[in-house]
Amino acid sequence: MVEAELTTPRRSWTIVGEWELRDLWLGGRGLLLTLAFSVLVSMLTYLTATNRALNFLEQRESVNLTLQVAIAVGALLALVAAADTVSGERERGTLETLLLAPIPRLQLTLGKLGAAFSLSVAAFAITIPYVWFLGRGVGIVGAALASGAFVGMLLAVFLASLGTLVSVFAASNRVSLSVSLFLLLALFAPTQFPSGAQQGWLGEFLLRANPLTAGEHYVGKIVVDGHAWSQDVLWLASPIVAAALFALLVAVAGARFMHLSRGSSR
Amino acid sequence: MTRLRPPVVVTIGALALAFVGAAGAVSNGLAVSVDRTGISTALGHKFVFRSTIVNQSTSPVSGLIAHLNVLSLRDGVYVDPEDWSSHRTHYLAPIPAGASVTLTWKLQAVNAGSFAIYVAVLPQRGAARPPITGPTVHVSIARRKTLNSGGTLPLVLGVPALLGALSFGVRVRRRTD
Repeated sequence: MVEAELTTPRRSWTIVGEWELRDLWLGGRGLLLTLAFSVLVSMLTYLTATNRALNFLEQRESVNLTLQVAIAVGALLALVAAADTVSGERERGTLETLLLAPIPRLQLTLGKLGAAFSLSVAAFAITIPYVWFLGRGVGIVGAALASGAFVGMLLAVFLASLGTLVSVFAASNRVSLSVSLFLLLALFAPTQFPSGAQQGWLGEFLLRANPLTAGEHYVGKIVVDGHAWSQDVLWLASPIVAAALFALLVAVAGARFMHLSRGSSR
Repeated sequence: MTRLRPPVVVTIGALALAFVGAAGAVSNGLAVSVDRTGISTALGHKFVFRSTIVNQSTSPVSGLIAHLNVLSLRDGVYVDPEDWSSHRTHYLAPIPAGASVTLTWKLQAVNAGSFAIYVAVLPQRGAARPPITGPTVHVSIARRKTLNSGGTLPLVLGVPALLGALSFGVRVRRRTD
């Protein structure tokens, strides 16, 4: 009697995701990026805890400062990794092999996006002990980590999708990285506006419409002001919309426009 | 926060303030008083005090500005009042004869040491006469270490060291493979 072994076929995107994760983490690039990230968060935590000029900060504000930087830089890591996904393969001459594999392009895009997203997850995991250290004793560690994880993941999905989208259309890796970083800087620009410019209906509209500023504002309200999750929930509208919209756009673009060279019909 | 009080309450309030020694200068029928003259707090903490501007004349007054100022009573301490309070100027609504306005000032203790805070009231039209000032509020701010800075070292060195070792291990393993 022959026993038939029943196995569930793996989805292609999980296979691609595994390749990409191996390349990112066992190739050493992911570990180096997270090492640099941990040095940055360590310096910030040390300054927050010891610097005399910063020592008047309330513990809630210290936690918020570290968490906001961690969210922003974690999302930046996802963007940088995503900006290399397609244009990098194209430049290294490995995209042809990838496109010849019997894997739908949508699944290929999803697998690559997932690997880029893993950098944000790792960055957030690294942030946990720092937030615990700064926030212990004032009962905000749980709320800070939960809100930071939620907003951080939304922003990471948004920026990783944005980076992948640019990478699909970029002629070279240099163009992809430059455009992605320029867009990121443009998104961060409102945080540098003078406080007067951030007030009024237009200022508030810009803060609410920008997923980065809106997400960080929401986290700040929970961590610093102790607001309930539902109190400022409308501030989450633009991060949620941006994450969903760009994930959809990158799925469509990846499925339809991922070619050997930009503009080619191949 | 601005609150208008009716004349009867004002008279009682002014008398009570005079007893506790928090009443300030009186000029042109206006008097400025504060709800306390001494505050002790710690670095980084927020605190609040109230000042009352009483119109003791028989006619209403309008076009007044109340401004809060902060200074250090010890030499060598830099004070930027903007850091202490983001709303230091209030443009007051007209005050009827015998009525008063109470203002709530919210501040944050930014430096440790001994500080003075006072409220000055001056006319909006910019008349060349001295402003009416309230009594000095003496603020003593104790130094406070909000965080155990020494305890950060194992964490801030340990995490990068761990990741560095992991990165090195992966690199060595790749070379041996």
